[in-house]
Amino acid sequence: MDGGKFFGAFRASSGITDAVVLNHVPVGCNWGAAIFKTTSNQFDMRHACTVMHEREIVFGGEDALREALIRADELYDTPLLLVIAGDAPSIIGDDVEAVVNSVTLDAEVMWMEAAGFKGSMMDGYEEALLRLAGLMKESETIQGSVNLIGFSPDDFKVDADVKEIKQLLLDAGVEVNTVISKCSLEEFRRAPAAELNVVLGQGTLLAEQMKKELGLPYLKMDYPYGLDGTAHFVNAISEELGTGHEPEFDIEPFKRVYLYLHELYGTPVSVIGDFHAEAMANFLDGELGFNVEVSARNEDDYFAFEEEVRNSNTTILFGSSFEQNIAETLNIPLIRFCYPVFDNVCVYDDAPYAGFRGAVCLTEAIINTVMSYGGMNK
Amino acid sequence: MYGKGGIGKSTIVSNIAAALSENGKTIIVMGCDPKSDMTRNLIGKRIPTVLDLFRSKGADKMEPEDVVFKGFNGVYCIEAGGPEPGVGCAGRGVITAVDMLDRLGVFNDIEPDTVIYDVLGDVVCGGFAMPLRQGLADDVYIVTTCDPMAIYAANNICKGIKRFANRSAVTLGGIIYNGRSVVDEPSIVEGLADRLGTKVLGRVPMSLLVPRAELRRKTVIEYAPDSEIADTFRDLATAICENKDRVMPDPLSDDELDEINEEIEVLLKEREEN
Repeated sequence: MDGGKFFGAFRASSGITDAVVLNHVPVGCNWGAAIFKTTSNQFDMRHACTVMHEREIVFGGEDALREALIRADELYDTPLLLVIAGDAPSIIGDDVEAVVNSVTLDAEVMWMEAAGFKGSMMDGYEEALLRLAGLMKESETIQGSVNLIGFSPDDFKVDADVKEIKQLLLDAGVEVNTVISKCSLEEFRRAPAAELNVVLGQGTLLAEQMKKELGLPYLKMDYPYGLDGTAHFVNAISEELGTGHEPEFDIEPFKRVYLYLHELYGTPVSVIGDFHAEAMANFLDGELGFNVEVSARNEDDYFAFEEEVRNSNTTILFGSSFEQNIAETLNIPLIRFCYPVFDNVCVYDDAPYAGFRGAVCLTEAIINTVMSYGGMNK
Repeated sequence: MYGKGGIGKSTIVSNIAAALSENGKTIIVMGCDPKSDMTRNLIGKRIPTVLDLFRSKGADKMEPEDVVFKGFNGVYCIEAGGPEPGVGCAGRGVITAVDMLDRLGVFNDIEPDTVIYDVLGDVVCGGFAMPLRQGLADDVYIVTTCDPMAIYAANNICKGIKRFANRSAVTLGGIIYNGRSVVDEPSIVEGLADRLGTKVLGRVPMSLLVPRAELRRKTVIEYAPDSEIADTFRDLATAICENKDRVMPDPLSDDELDEINEEIEVLLKEREEN
């Protein structure tokens, strides 16, 4: 199950936290993007829309786009307007570039074509970052600093996770220069100042391009779930940068929660999600001692995943809000850990799932979910 | 009425409509081409199109009298209209225009004996196939000359009809031969009709009266009612009304089209030698 290229571009672009995204799409696509914000982060509504209706489909959406650009520039105090042309303007061939070039605005304008039918959400994310790379400016290298690439502003637990990862790296003598894509325009512009790009699951094309054009190396890492996963994450980055710093890890809180895990050892679980899924499965299997029966990525055959889970002994499902139905059908608890989560909120930015403290929070969440579920059928 | 662009569909549709109106029939003609000039010969001027009104007034404020105009002999004229060249989606425009007319109840209120849709060129996308779908049209008539590209377009239109065979009752009524091309050889088009499983319902010969009438924004039925060409259109209108042979066409393969092209080439050579 995949949101398509448009949503990938929307997520990457929304990550420039002081930019405004102008969706050049029919009303429904924008509604989807907006309604999700109301649960993921309703304090961060920074997008406008041309709201294409039948008139714009028949006669073209160029006039509507021009008007929307002018109005968005008036309404928002933003340094950057990011225009994303979705399915309908791509089908009817709106000349977005010509419209963008025809207006003079206070804000800088960048546009990208991201028809949902032209690729996956990851394709949209990757291509949007390549487009956004045009905003970067030559910067003096900050020794011992890294960019984290692969985030989206609507990832579940993103604020808490980024805060945790930044602190962990800082404790290891590594400064996070820019989080892509969850940073200000200024931070994004200075991304070339980092000594190393760390790619978490997506954004490899940007890292490749920065390596080719700027000589900036990159390291592909799994998302830092669990003690081992986090230690490996921090150590690998420290080693790559040659900081010579021996990070010390405080795992005392985890030891306290670990006592509750005895009863759950060998619990059969299944995991599905975006790039977070594999790291999560490794944590559940390698550190908590769960038995991962089915592990799948969003881009895999969802019906096959459902069937495999149904035919397995799965007693806890790890995924997104999309897995509500299958969890309800099988009468098993669902732990939400990755995009999209629209039936839970994560407002507090100090309860991560990533990092050492994240391992505690995550394990606590699993135990609480199981204890409050009222027993399992299987 | 379908056929390659510039093949004479609008001329034939307006003259057939005018001819049918002489018999006291209630006729609606609807132009489904963004250039919106099919009804000009029946009304004497361009009329506002459905999509013009949709754009300026909005769907909710449109009235039937905004888009339906009476032309020669009471023929009701409608133009779907469309976007400017190079922008928007003309195919979607046809769908939108038909939808608007449906919402306005135009066809129910007028209760026409016959509705003739004049559709742009080839069936380039789903929008231009609209009259083939949803039971809008009963029969399709294809206008063609002996030109290879006109025959190619005619065959493509038949593919469109066949595609919708399972979804609607639309069938091919026949071929109308326009004899104004460089090679004017009825046997070519009769051969095409044979292979498609249909027949040629009439031949419209080259006539100077047609451009003369159109320069005055009239049909030949109005401009030269006693002329031979006016009678040709009357005969064609009668043939269509009395036509009982409706078929599901069997479109030609590329090889079969090449065979027809070879016949045309032979005729062209003969013409050059003479």
